[in-house]
Amino acid sequence: MSSDATDLQLLRKSAHRSSLKRDFGLAWRQLRREFRLSEYLVLIFALVLSVAAVTSVGFFANRVERAMAAQAATLLAADAVVSSPAPITSDIYQQAAEQSLQTAEVTEFPSVVLTEDGETALVSVKAVGAEYPLRGELKLATEVYGAEQTAADAPSSGAVWIEPRLASTLQVDVGDRLIFGDSTVTLERLITFEPDGSVDAFQLAPRLMMNAADLSASGLLGEGSRARYRLLLAGSESQIDSFVSWFDANADASLQLQTVEEGRPAVRSALVNARRFLGLAAAVAVLLSAAAVALAARQIAERDMNTGSLMRTFGASGSTVLRVVLIRLSLIALAATLAGCIIGYLVQFGLTALLGQWFATDLPAATLTPLIGGFMCAVLAFVGFCLPSLVRAIDTPVLQVLRRDLPMARPSALVALTSAVAALALLLIWLTRDWQLGGLLLLGMLLVAAVLMGISRLLVALSVRVRSAYLRRALESLRRRPESVSLQITAFSVGLLAILLLTLVRNDVLGAWQRQIPDDAPNFFLVNIQPDEVPQVKSFLSERGVQNDTLYPMIRARLESINDQPVTDIKFDEHGQRFAERDFNLSYLAEQRPDNKILEGEWWDEQTDSPQFSVEEDFAGDIGVEIGDQMQFRVADKIVTGEITNLREVDWESFAVNFFVVGTPAGLDDKPASFVSSVYVPTGQGEFVRDLVSQFSGITALEIGTMIERVTGIIDRAALAVQYVFVFTLLAGLLVLWASVLASRRERFREAAILRALGASRTYLAASTTREFALIGLLAGLVASTIAALIGWVIIERVMEFTYEFNGWLWVTGVLAGVLGVLIAGKLATRPVLNQLPIAVLQSQV
Amino acid sequence: MIITARNVCKSVSTGEGELTILDNVNLQLAAGEVLAIVGPSGSGKSTLLGVLAGLDSATSGTVKLLDQPLHDLDEDGRAAVRAGAVGFVFQSFQLLPGLSALENVMLPLELANIADARSRAQQQLELVGLQHRLGHLPAQLSGGEQQRVAVARAFVATPSVLFADEPTGNLDQATGNTIVELMFQLRAEHNTALVLVTHDQNLASRCDRLLSMHDGQLQ
Repeated sequence: MSSDATDLQLLRKSAHRSSLKRDFGLAWRQLRREFRLSEYLVLIFALVLSVAAVTSVGFFANRVERAMAAQAATLLAADAVVSSPAPITSDIYQQAAEQSLQTAEVTEFPSVVLTEDGETALVSVKAVGAEYPLRGELKLATEVYGAEQTAADAPSSGAVWIEPRLASTLQVDVGDRLIFGDSTVTLERLITFEPDGSVDAFQLAPRLMMNAADLSASGLLGEGSRARYRLLLAGSESQIDSFVSWFDANADASLQLQTVEEGRPAVRSALVNARRFLGLAAAVAVLLSAAAVALAARQIAERDMNTGSLMRTFGASGSTVLRVVLIRLSLIALAATLAGCIIGYLVQFGLTALLGQWFATDLPAATLTPLIGGFMCAVLAFVGFCLPSLVRAIDTPVLQVLRRDLPMARPSALVALTSAVAALALLLIWLTRDWQLGGLLLLGMLLVAAVLMGISRLLVALSVRVRSAYLRRALESLRRRPESVSLQITAFSVGLLAILLLTLVRNDVLGAWQRQIPDDAPNFFLVNIQPDEVPQVKSFLSERGVQNDTLYPMIRARLESINDQPVTDIKFDEHGQRFAERDFNLSYLAEQRPDNKILEGEWWDEQTDSPQFSVEEDFAGDIGVEIGDQMQFRVADKIVTGEITNLREVDWESFAVNFFVVGTPAGLDDKPASFVSSVYVPTGQGEFVRDLVSQFSGITALEIGTMIERVTGIIDRAALAVQYVFVFTLLAGLLVLWASVLASRRERFREAAILRALGASRTYLAASTTREFALIGLLAGLVASTIAALIGWVIIERVMEFTYEFNGWLWVTGVLAGVLGVLIAGKLATRPVLNQLPIAVLQSQV
Repeated sequence: MIITARNVCKSVSTGEGELTILDNVNLQLAAGEVLAIVGPSGSGKSTLLGVLAGLDSATSGTVKLLDQPLHDLDEDGRAAVRAGAVGFVFQSFQLLPGLSALENVMLPLELANIADARSRAQQQLELVGLQHRLGHLPAQLSGGEQQRVAVARAFVATPSVLFADEPTGNLDQATGNTIVELMFQLRAEHNTALVLVTHDQNLASRCDRLLSMHDGQLQ
């Protein structure tokens, strides 16, 4: 064998012994200088953005879940709670005693409290005994932000404890006097932590806690008053289990039992919804970031094609080149993921500040679990959107080193699309924790993307027909790169659309709702009026010039059967099931109300002595009843059966008191009822409430304006949180813009160099790019504003059936934001083009 | 023989039918021999260089490089033949922009798993007069300096054969002459065979043998 052949064999062996260490060294050397290149920066930023979007939501949800888990034992202030809209029956007490369970009674109801200065506030009253709480601790303070103490007893007789926010609203301190019900009470302490305080996570009114022994003397609760009665239970696991078994077998269906294992459905569902909404906002950011990843990957693939060809020219195998590329990009992905996780962790503090208070407790620190989501997101974006281009690029013929005109190998459209859609589907399913919802979202997103892309293409096609000397070069650019420009318009308009919907369109919808409320619409609900108070309340109202003084009887009832079939045997839809399982309010009327339109059937004779029912049309649909059907209700321990004789249409937005089911007085007027009304008090509302409460201590006046304010406050905060996450979307849209500008960079460099060589000034070139990006921004702004307005119109006119009012600001803001956003991003991305010396470009092979 | 090519044909499909680029080419290159291939643009010179170096495969015919039948090998097999044994100098330098001059020269040694890559690359750069530019990136070097790095890279693994495609095509006359001197000097020191594709008749005339290419045929 010749010495040449021996050498060759040795070289071959050594070539095959290519070690990971060497590949790592090669990858690292390339990486440490190349990561500053624009295409790598786009890849890094896109990965950072998507990981940050996903982890910020993940960390926030993690903290809330941990708070819920940590509080599980004290969440109910007991091991189990029986609750009912009526006082809890003796058999429950008896069974609790038989099981030797500890018990504590709690009664909750809404009311109004006054200060001696005449300030009023709606409160959520909780009457407790000394046993409360059975689990966990109630924390009190003597001043806002003062030192906390654990409550050892119930509030003293004649004293109340309130939440600090109520003290701020009323401007009262510990020791001040409050008028509450029939009596004047002393503010004894401020409640800083209530173990079961967030049973209703969205509780509108602040807490006022009183001693249960004062309840009857206060005159606040009468027969038929709206209140929630709870019996707290505590004991060993076996005692609780025995009680639960007995309860399931014997308790009345109107009673509800909640155990620690079930947690708090309201909080849990709020968390699930928050996670889904925020997850969706994060998903849109991930989708756009993934598009930027794909665009950057094409640029990187082009560069790697050269590197790969050269390495193979010098003897590297295909697998060596692939390893080096994978190591290099994995290092980038790893660093970007870590940075994204850190940013996500910091961003969740903002989410916690916006939404944390819904969960009524200080949230514990997050664990590292959300990092898994961040890493998964990066891996899916990387594998789904980046890898196919790169792997295929290194398959470009080695001859490319000699023949630069050889085209780069690209993955087939099917492979690229399949891997991208699969990665996106997995991401969405993981983000929503629901494969059906994830699948629907994927379809929705692809559809929206396709529609936006189509609109953008159409706009580009129309724009290039414009004849304008001023825009000539800008239009030429659009004509040459229609796909890239359409992508830029689509990406940026998605981010802009999300922000417009959450700001201007949301305000339009709320505005449309508020506009349709007439000026003299009721501004107070009066509840808990006892039958014997009705004549006095009517004269009280007429003395104050209140026009509408109709008081409606309200009877707590439970639907037992329809056409003799028990509701427990009927399959309802989700909506109907809720009505079938809970108590609701019946009323009775002899005469037809003018504001309720009869759609089917006829109103009954005023003198009729047969029980009949009038049912609201949507409710009839929910529970599947029609005219002629027999409905049977349980009212207290009596059964009322009657035929449905008409279906009504109700204007729920009028703020008038309305009922799903209204019966004839026959059969209902002898049942325990309280009365309710909604009234319009034109002036002196504060005085009205003060006089009403001092004259009728049990009546609660709910101010509608305050309730609307609180509801819109919650909507505002939720919208702000979603907007907060959508900032990632807007940034991702800018990244797509940057990435697509980069894709045309080589062409731009060459054009700029030729133009400058021919005498064009930098100012001329700068003005050309300004017009080009301003035009793209204008189109993106128009697309986003138009779609946002269309969605607003559909919601207002079609869904809510209000009148849509054209909002010119939507277009002004959308277009301005579009022009400014795209202009700034585009100018930054093309700055190197203007700064490059023409000779350097013309002499280079690039 | 370093290279033996027999009846090599290369054709590609185009929209207008089959296009023949190499037409029945026969060629042999002995160890240490210097061969120039000249011819007009589009005559197939670079394609022939690619086929002889195993960067491309022939449509028919056989090519042996360093006694290895390239026509029987796949892409990785051909790369393994080149590893450490074949050098290249290109018209457009073809340095990796992300690597320094030193790292570019180390590359062939590392890919062939040859020890002392750093010190050998450093010595080679000293030989081409770039000891003061070791850490510079290609973009920080002049055209002549870049081509000197490329020459250093081509010779660092002491290859049996060097393929050079228009090595002075992107350089001015004086710089081009310097590069040619350097290339011939190093080739002589290592007794490296050289296949040189050029338009430059003066350069071609310095070679042991000159072949002219027209319409894919060697004359």
